[in-house]
Amino acid sequence: MAMRIPELKSQYIWAILLAIFTVAIIHPIEIPIPMSKATLDVYNMIENLPEGSIVAVGGAYVFAFDLESSASMIACLKQMARNHLRVVFVPLSVEAVQMHKYCIDMARVDEKYGGPWKYGRDYVQLPYMPGMDAALVAFLTDVHSAVATDVYGTPLDELPLMRDLHSYKDISLWICIHWAFPMIVRYVTSERGIPSVYFAQAAAYASYAPYMAMYPGKVFMTLGFLGGAQYEKLVGIKGLGYAAMNAYSFLVIAFVIFVILGNITMLTRLGEEEE
Amino acid sequence: MSAVVYIRLYLTRILILIGMLSVLISWYFVSPEADVIANELQIWNMNIATFTLFVGLLSVYSRYIRSIMNREKYWQYHLYAAILIVVWIIFGLKVGLYSDIYQKAYLCTKITLHIAILGQLVFFMISACYRLFRMRTLRTAIFACCTLLIAICNAPIVSATFPAADKIVFWFLNYPASAGSRALLITGGVGGVVLGIRILLGLEKGALRATEV
Repeated sequence: MAMRIPELKSQYIWAILLAIFTVAIIHPIEIPIPMSKATLDVYNMIENLPEGSIVAVGGAYVFAFDLESSASMIACLKQMARNHLRVVFVPLSVEAVQMHKYCIDMARVDEKYGGPWKYGRDYVQLPYMPGMDAALVAFLTDVHSAVATDVYGTPLDELPLMRDLHSYKDISLWICIHWAFPMIVRYVTSERGIPSVYFAQAAAYASYAPYMAMYPGKVFMTLGFLGGAQYEKLVGIKGLGYAAMNAYSFLVIAFVIFVILGNITMLTRLGEEEE
Repeated sequence: MSAVVYIRLYLTRILILIGMLSVLISWYFVSPEADVIANELQIWNMNIATFTLFVGLLSVYSRYIRSIMNREKYWQYHLYAAILIVVWIIFGLKVGLYSDIYQKAYLCTKITLHIAILGQLVFFMISACYRLFRMRTLRTAIFACCTLLIAICNAPIVSATFPAADKIVFWFLNYPASAGSRALLITGGVGGVVLGIRILLGLEKGALRATEV
């Protein structure tokens, strides 16, 4: 009679995964981060923007879903601060303001963290603008009509950066770190010709990848935490992306082992059924 | 025709048409006047969206207060939510949405919990894969092999050792996975257009309550 492998209870699998995560956190391994062309293209494009260019960062979705994009965004903010670019954050969903603040704080680019950026001169956080597509179009058409103050309630005319931003014509690049990227492609890139970068969540990448083929040289994307780790490598830091890929390296081994184990279990039971 | 019927049948549809035109007008009509009208309508749209936040708040409270008064199922959660909403509103107005303390409180509560919920999916996903990726048929074999291939090739250790792994991942994502996703989106888009037309023509039962009058 063939050896019969018992079915593993889900709780055992969860316990093993928890142990793997714990090991990855306590004892991270040095992993190589190979570079992808997609990430390198984004990096080079931002590197080639003239000093003082205005970059808009914005979009709409939920913080927890967008967190994956923050790995790339944080590294990108460091790059933009180093290259003396200017950034306006445009939140089109309720939690986007918190997401943008999280990225700014984690990137440590503000002068209160010893960074080179000064609020109002180098970056500005706008308040949440309800209306999704309508808000985006209104913002692109006439910034000062669409929104009167920044997130602190300061009139936009009192902020040096906002005095240089009147409409989409003043924006050199749009970076999206939110799931609602089609909205950005539609109104920002397709209708107004502004290049856009999407630090895509891994699950969203496949859905939105055709935009890169539709608008070559205009739409750029990176892939999830892997893209984040690659971007961090280009900027010369180790952050959330590297940590996530570290844990992933451990986890993928467990994933493969469990799938193989599942198939072996099935094979032993098939033999039993035949008997 | 009574006022209620008039509002339900026509006014809502007219308002929807005006809203749709606000998006299309400046795209199809190249004139400064059209741009001014379109921009004005976009700002109206934003203002209405802002107002709907207050409407949402009132709706939630009317529902929750009724539930609490009548001790309906889950009334405790409604009470908890009703208190929490007020606390967060006062907190936000007092310290500001962009303050460090608000950010800290938000990250330590809502965001951490939400991320934890999403993080749990990894546990469920792998235990599900253990049971589902059993290659009994050709279909499950293809499905399991593709998933395994992407998962393995995506690991930095693998793609650093075998540079072709990176190309394999992006080929899978850019072509087969993308095609499937786009097919779903296009189907949804066509369905959305058809649904929109049906709603405007009053054919969709219950939509805008037009057929209920």
